Amino acid sequence: MADLAPVPTSASASAPTSVDSILTSVISQLETEQNLRKQLREAIDPIDDLARSAATELNRLHSAGASEHSRICERALETVGKAHPLWIEVGKLLPKGEFYRADRSRPRYNFAISPVARSLVTSIAFARFMLHDELVPAFTAANIMGLGQDETGELQLTADDYLLGVIGMVNELPRLSINAVTAQNFALPVKIAAFVNDIFASYSMLNLRNDILRRKFDSLKYDLKRCEDVVYDLTLRGLAPAPANA
Amino acid sequence: MADVLMAGSSSADFTRRQHLAKTFEAYRADLDAGNERRERLIILSRATTQLSKKLIFHLHRGATASPSARAKNIKEGRQKENEIWTNFIKIRDDLVAGEDHESFWRWTREVTPGMEEYIEASSFLHYLDHGSLITLEEVQRNLSDKETGEPLVVVTPEDYILGMSDLTGELMRYATNGQWSFAPLQLNKVYGSRYAEGNTALSTGDHESPLSGRSYPLNTTVLPCAAHQADLADFDSIPPSRLNSHMARKLAKKQEETTRSLQKIESVCYALRLRLIEYADRPDILRQMAKRALDDAAAAGQDKDGERGDD
Repeated sequence: MADLAPVPTSASASAPTSVDSILTSVISQLETEQNLRKQLREAIDPIDDLARSAATELNRLHSAGASEHSRICERALETVGKAHPLWIEVGKLLPKGEFYRADRSRPRYNFAISPVARSLVTSIAFARFMLHDELVPAFTAANIMGLGQDETGELQLTADDYLLGVIGMVNELPRLSINAVTAQNFALPVKIAAFVNDIFASYSMLNLRNDILRRKFDSLKYDLKRCEDVVYDLTLRGLAPAPANA
Repeated sequence: MADVLMAGSSSADFTRRQHLAKTFEAYRADLDAGNERRERLIILSRATTQLSKKLIFHLHRGATASPSARAKNIKEGRQKENEIWTNFIKIRDDLVAGEDHESFWRWTREVTPGMEEYIEASSFLHYLDHGSLITLEEVQRNLSDKETGEPLVVVTPEDYILGMSDLTGELMRYATNGQWSFAPLQLNKVYGSRYAEGNTALSTGDHESPLSGRSYPLNTTVLPCAAHQADLADFDSIPPSRLNSHMARKLAKKQEETTRSLQKIESVCYALRLRLIEYADRPDILRQMAKRALDDAAAAGQDKDGERGDD
């Protein structure tokens, strides 16, 4: 169409120029936000590393002997505990009132905080179950991962991340149950089945809407079934330890 | 199965289960509160969308009328805009009512659709009223508490850019509604020069055309309008690295739409230019032809859409 173009005149020069400058200023704002995003990403990376090394440590539960279990779990919790100062750094970068922005809602800010928090919850809940046969409450989990204190500002462990993180741990348990049998640890599968059963009952109390939490919840019943199947196999062969209250 | 389960349930487990039930009641309350708020915000957002669409239609109805009717139309538009604005007050109030002063960002996914529509409507209104492109700051000021100046909702650069991209569609409709004044030809001159000269071409407009229609108020507005559109059509120049992937996808889609309307106008202009040479001294015939060419273009556009649908 260029051949149809008229000889340019300056007739309407002012309006287009302002359009140009408006766009330029918007683009520069985008740039500022992108820098912040990059800084946050970099600040979260070391926490991500901690989360991964805790998960790796806990992964050894599947092959290590029962006597080593508590040492593995304590080491994992120790690793997770190092996150606190790192969260403080992340909190400092975050503009006031924008935790959720960084957390998940905004596509441009959909990086790390949520996934890392979930992964940390998974490791904490896993270790605490192995050590104390309990489900760690959200508040305690937040404290262990260093998100419970005032210094971390607006950073917080959301209910969603906690609940998803716990399901992440339950997803690990059927495998552990099977490996325990291989290692001739017949008490652990029974303990696991009871635990998963309790968790499943608790999650059933929640009114879930059709989101990721709901889908993850649906996965729980398969985990429960697999854990129960292991106990069934053991009971059938008279290998399960006698129930404490029998 | 039940027996197997029982085997694992010692009295300690029973206590644990009760304990869990208690903590999960708290989580449930937390999730429920969030879900209810989400529902409320979605309803408000939908209402905002509806009202904004109505406002846009209202503006189109009056945009090609006489100057005094246009002024009235815009005034009514302002009232409608204010009505929509009260929705944002409600949204803000709901967020503030949250126990820990709920963050806007947590709910932005629910709020944004209505807000985008509102930005489109108010930027169109702003354009008709002032003949210029609204700035991000002005959009944000419109969406702020009138007393405290605190933002009711936060408008990000992305929201703004996507809204302006939507605006191009309205401007195109507005321009084609002015067909009798040969606005399309003028539009294209701006486009054409833009393509010819690259980024600096924005600043060109052409008044040499015998059809620039001094007697038609519309023409004076169409020119800058076209300039905006040409500029917005050039959103491609925004480096993708500065956008997140979600935003980039959305913008690419809108760009397609903008390009399509642009081509529609170009083909009309092609026909107009040829006829212009033939019938330069017969404005009534030209007017007829412009109308026909536009109808053809619209039909061709529909055919194209039909083919796309068949794929």
